[in-house]
Amino acid sequence: MSMDLLSGRLIVVVGAGGVGKTTLAAALALGSAQQGRRTLVMTFDPSLRLKDALGVGDAAKDEPIRVMEEGSGFLDAALLDAKQTFDRLIRTYAPDADAAQRIFANRFYQDMAGNLAGILEYMAMERLFEMRASGRYDQIILDTPPTRQAMDFLQAPERMMNLVDSKAIRFALDPWWDGKGEKNLAFRLAARGVMELSDRIIGRRFLLDVVEFIRAFAPLFDGFRSRAEEVRNLLKAEETRFLLVAGPGPDRVPDAMFFLRKLEESGHHLGPVLVNQVHPDPGPAAADPGLALLRFLADRDRRGLELLRSLFPGGQDILPVALEPLPPGDLPTLARLFEKLSSPAQG
Amino acid sequence: MSALDRIAERQLVVVTGKGGVGKTTLTAMLGSLLAARGRRVLLLEVDPRESLHQTLGTEPSGGEIVQAGPRLGLQNLQPAAVIEALVREKVPLAYLVRKITESAAFHQFVEGAPGLKETALLGYAYRALQSGHRPRFDLVIVDAPATGHSAALLAAPGLLAQAAQGGQLGDMAADLATFLADASRCGVVLATLAEEMPVQETLELITRLQVKLGLRPDLVVANGLYPVPRPGAAKANDPPRELLQARRRLNEAELARLATVWDGPLVELPLLPLGRGPALVEALAILLEEADR
Repeated sequence: MSMDLLSGRLIVVVGAGGVGKTTLAAALALGSAQQGRRTLVMTFDPSLRLKDALGVGDAAKDEPIRVMEEGSGFLDAALLDAKQTFDRLIRTYAPDADAAQRIFANRFYQDMAGNLAGILEYMAMERLFEMRASGRYDQIILDTPPTRQAMDFLQAPERMMNLVDSKAIRFALDPWWDGKGEKNLAFRLAARGVMELSDRIIGRRFLLDVVEFIRAFAPLFDGFRSRAEEVRNLLKAEETRFLLVAGPGPDRVPDAMFFLRKLEESGHHLGPVLVNQVHPDPGPAAADPGLALLRFLADRDRRGLELLRSLFPGGQDILPVALEPLPPGDLPTLARLFEKLSSPAQG
Repeated sequence: MSALDRIAERQLVVVTGKGGVGKTTLTAMLGSLLAARGRRVLLLEVDPRESLHQTLGTEPSGGEIVQAGPRLGLQNLQPAAVIEALVREKVPLAYLVRKITESAAFHQFVEGAPGLKETALLGYAYRALQSGHRPRFDLVIVDAPATGHSAALLAAPGLLAQAAQGGQLGDMAADLATFLADASRCGVVLATLAEEMPVQETLELITRLQVKLGLRPDLVVANGLYPVPRPGAAKANDPPRELLQARRRLNEAELARLATVWDGPLVELPLLPLGRGPALVEALAILLEEADR
């Protein structure tokens, strides 16, 4: 089982919010390192408890920090922060300091850098790409952010490429805005139409802020486009596995199916599905109301598993992960969680 | 005055919290309780994967208002569709409307403009409350999207009003921001689980709402509490009971942590042996009303 769980040089852990992705990603990463690999886990917004367990503070936002070493293997952890990654990218790829400064000073950038649709996801992909290119790791495990549109990060590279190529962007880059360049009547009319309409609806200043932002950003576009393309290919590569974490019970099955369908449709490689926090069977029902509740929850979670398996008859590995009395709070408990994951599944 | 009395006087209530903490069921509970008190209530859901209708046992909304009981309607809303409708209203020529709404630039604008979708959603709620609106509603309850930080939802109109100053969009956003800032008309209810991450986010959200918007939630609801173990029931080496006890202790520790920051109305609701649906909503609504007295 452990072979399956840890196959793929890149493992992208996906799932709805609150299903325990981050903890499972950390446990898998620790297991990977203990098997002798050089492993990196990249995560968003981990709980305090898990941060303590991994010993990562805010320093891990800039550079991965070492969590443990064992034999030839080690585990590094990196925290992801969209705004910081974005800022760093601009500093790295802007042609000069002035160009970078123009972007940082733009009102639109300040409001939106952390907020632009899919930017967090895109930045995660950029970081992933950077880390993979560094050659420092045998295996990278990426814990994905809790997104609004659950699959934003899959579309993020595509969206970035479309944005860079879009007519609107080309339009904004036209020298006409500086009062330069001869334009034909049709262009001038179109430009005036856009100006008037947007002036009426969104206000002139907003439009100008956006135009200014795009223009300040333009020197970076080609770099963004080519990296976005490579990231997209990386996500679809054979070496990349998507590991889905689902919540227990039939009510969570539609969420899981949504992810599974999207991944399959878009040609990404599926790894096993982990159904987390499954209530264990308490044995014969007792008069104790607590145990009766546990019985109900165990039955509910078993039905959820059966439903998921019936919807995926193609032999997809669907593995239950039992609810623990306490969530893992240190490396030994994370290691035990990995052992349980790797032992033959129950139920 | 109980928390429910206060909520009953509101026109707009935003139910928010991390994903998977029971927001949708709480929205349905508040809807049934307040409709039972004579308010005409509209429940708005934003998630494209509809689930609100399941909690009340109706057909899916598919974008339309569905009757879920006396004085209780529910509707699933897509912000992009609301924005398109707005463009149709503001731009006179059908040809031009099509040109705009079909353009890639429009979609990028809708996706990218700060707070636009959020403003569209709240703006829709605001309009549903106007006296000319048919059917009439006294109260709109929004099942807020599980975004990273839902303070962003409520801050959106103010942000947009600033960004798009001087345009019609900016004016509408400014109106809406004024409405939202009116503490007598608009309120927030937070749903959480008594577990580490949800409590952490709830604490951050309470602080953020206070600092950024001067808002204090009307009510915090801690869902899904494991039962108090029966005294003397614990035996050695009894994993099911140990699991229950450990989970209950975790719940209590997290409730204590919540209490260090939140001293307002807090209702604790138990984990019940019922699946999502009207029976669960009804059972929890009774408990909520009892606890609120």
